[in-house]
Amino acid sequence: MKSVRVALVGNPNVGKTSLLNHLAGTNLKVGNWPGVTVEKREGRVKFQDYQIELVDLPGIYTLEPLSEEEWIAYNYITQEKPDVVVNVVETPNLQRDFLLTVELLELEIPTLLVLNMSDEAQKLGVEVNDRWLSELLGVRVLRTNGRTGKGVKAILPNVVELYTLKEKPKPLRYSKELEEVLEKLRESAQESKSELLRKLLQERQNLHYREFLKNTFGKEAHEVVKDQRYATAHGLYREVVKERPLTSKDITDSLDRVLLHPALGIALFFLVMFMLFKVSFDFSAPFMDWVEGFINGFVAPLVSMGLVSLGAGPWVERLFSEALVGGVGFVLTFLPLVGVMYFLLSVLEFSGYLPRVAFLMDRFMHRLGLHGKSLVPLLLGFGCNVPAIVATRTLETRRDKLIVISMIPFMSCPARLVVFSFFATLFFQNPAVVIFSLYMLGVFVALLTALLLRHTAFRGELYHFVMELPPYRLPTLRLLLRVSWAYVRDFLYRAGTLIFGASVFIWLLLNLPPGVKDPSESVAAQVGKAVAPLFKPLGLDDWRVATSLIPAFLAREIVLSSMGTIYSPQVEKEEKEFDLLGAMKEQAVSLGVAAKDAVLNTFKPVPTAFEVEEGEESLRQVVAKSLSPPAALAFMVFLLLYTSCLGTVAVMWREVGRSFALLFLAYSFVVGWLAGFVAYGVGKALGL
Amino acid sequence: MNLEEVRPGQEVLILNVYGKEEVLEKVKAMGLREGRRVSLLQKVGRNLLLKVNNSRIVISRELARGIEVQ
Ligand SMILES: Nc1nc2c(ncn2[C@@H]2O[C@H](COP(=O)(O)OP(=O)(O)OP(=O)(O)O)[C@@H](O)[C@H]2O)c(=O)[nH]1
Ligand SMILES: [Mg+2]
Repeated sequence: MKSVRVALVGNPNVGKTSLLNHLAGTNLKVGNWPGVTVEKREGRVKFQDYQIELVDLPGIYTLEPLSEEEWIAYNYITQEKPDVVVNVVETPNLQRDFLLTVELLELEIPTLLVLNMSDEAQKLGVEVNDRWLSELLGVRVLRTNGRTGKGVKAILPNVVELYTLKEKPKPLRYSKELEEVLEKLRESAQESKSELLRKLLQERQNLHYREFLKNTFGKEAHEVVKDQRYATAHGLYREVVKERPLTSKDITDSLDRVLLHPALGIALFFLVMFMLFKVSFDFSAPFMDWVEGFINGFVAPLVSMGLVSLGAGPWVERLFSEALVGGVGFVLTFLPLVGVMYFLLSVLEFSGYLPRVAFLMDRFMHRLGLHGKSLVPLLLGFGCNVPAIVATRTLETRRDKLIVISMIPFMSCPARLVVFSFFATLFFQNPAVVIFSLYMLGVFVALLTALLLRHTAFRGELYHFVMELPPYRLPTLRLLLRVSWAYVRDFLYRAGTLIFGASVFIWLLLNLPPGVKDPSESVAAQVGKAVAPLFKPLGLDDWRVATSLIPAFLAREIVLSSMGTIYSPQVEKEEKEFDLLGAMKEQAVSLGVAAKDAVLNTFKPVPTAFEVEEGEESLRQVVAKSLSPPAALAFMVFLLLYTSCLGTVAVMWREVGRSFALLFLAYSFVVGWLAGFVAYGVGKALGL
Repeated sequence: MNLEEVRPGQEVLILNVYGKEEVLEKVKAMGLREGRRVSLLQKVGRNLLLKVNNSRIVISRELARGIEVQ
């Protein structure tokens, strides 16, 4: 089968990735701000007899790259020469987008022009004469809507035809003098305009041509070329676009007047953040209770029954109830929280509010010697540190990039939230305050780190701030669900692999050497006891706590699954008759109740999720007995700050280098330890 | 006058863009070049929010100072 390489090229945030997702059924990251895609990503589809490799590139405004992600796009287009270029443009902004179109046409590669966001153009009164456009350029023109997928179907057949017919665009015509010079430089008929221009502007022996142009136009040769491109783009725009004046008010302008208001806007930002957390908790709490009940009251007895009837030995049963139900099952309890949180974060990412926060908060970031623009990766860090670190590629200077990367790991992610929500509800009267303070502590340490770096390793000047703010956009519900589902699937996958592996590992250590009766004589205990002195100043000298911290360097949730595995033998089990049908009914009813509670909770003004109920001897109670509240606080602080996440360290390693990643890991350990130590002391002094 | 001196709500014509910084090429490609009309939507802190055709662009005051308008 023949393969065709197709590159999606266009300005940032015009909907390239959205189109690719529709075409190839992929689930690549989409968001409403410029700079979502920062890596070359691929999607494959079979179409007719062709294997079509669609390459999604970071957005660029012009083929003069500046930041890292722009270089990636530039290098791919100019060096790897795709078979077909799909130039995606934002229909309401053709005045701007046509510059890149002109630069792409210079390459003389078969090109398809896709007028995306046709829905918005219609609302804004922008009309494009696509027939005339197609005729002028000699390229095929399509209209699409990347949000709903309308019109996308026509892309692949046209790509294949372009490829098989080798249909090149009409050569662009620049001014007579320039064209004459370019013809003199031509050595073969194959050379494209962009190659001729490169020869003209870069090769030493062509200096006299550059001088000639300079004398003719009164400008440097490269300025002459740029002017010609702009003139061509502008001429094209004037030819094919008609803009009717609008009678109605633009919704984005009205919203911005409030949301970007210097004072009100900042208050609203904090309100938005508060609501994000409140709703995540309140809506998910009843479901978390339900999942817990479902695992312990339904899945566990059902599987136990099955194991007994299969004649499995007692140790299989213990492995199941301790490592699986106690460990993995425990972490799974928090799935609703993670799911709801990601859903809401996605709403924020799709709305167009994210880059506005950058604009709004630039005043404060500026004091730290950073751009507002750096706030976008920092905010993404609340979702997951790993993609946030990759997103720093959009920053123009290495200095900014390194500072921001050193801040991101202190932004608390849902994995940490899961741990906090367990400990905070268990040990404190006012868990919401505790969790909020932890988040703030993370932000504070991030700012401190930035200040520290700026006064030592990265002095230097602040770079200019340039950014585009997209209009507010509504995502489709389908898109939101698909994106959140991707995160949930990730979480489940981790539970099934990493967390499962770690739980079984801990369980084995707990049961070694063979025949060990008292867990405190097991290998796990010996390892824990060896590490415990290190954590004693934080009040964490219990071997069970120390042991659970060790495998947690893979991912923070593992702290919980390890604790679950270690403590669950101590939980007394009530023996009950298990009746499958009755249990199923019971689960269904309680799910209904959970759904009702979730909705009710969400509309209460104060957070309600944290009402701790007293109950029987559960895992919670067992854990509660083994730690004091100040020690629990120290534990959370340590876990917040210490980069206890393999994914984050790995991505730092890849993006900046090994020594930076390891140095940072050590730094975060020290900071986490010190802060934990202080927290323990303060906690004790306050008599928590 | 330069772009920094423009008042919010005002629409002006760009006459010239001065400066040598690399980022200016990007700024021009985003639509801030001679002959274009821009309106100033807001000034917040050290930045300006501009509207050019149908897009909104944020640039810092230092850059705006190098853009001559009328
Ligand atoms: N109304 C409307 N919105 C669209 C359309 N196409 C895409 N969007 C939205 O526009 C935003 C940007 O889409 P992306 O696909 O991430 O754009 P991109 O070109 O890949 O952006 P970068 O990777 O940042 O260069 C998202 O919020 C999309 O949902 C469209 O045709 N109409
Ligand atoms: Mg993209």
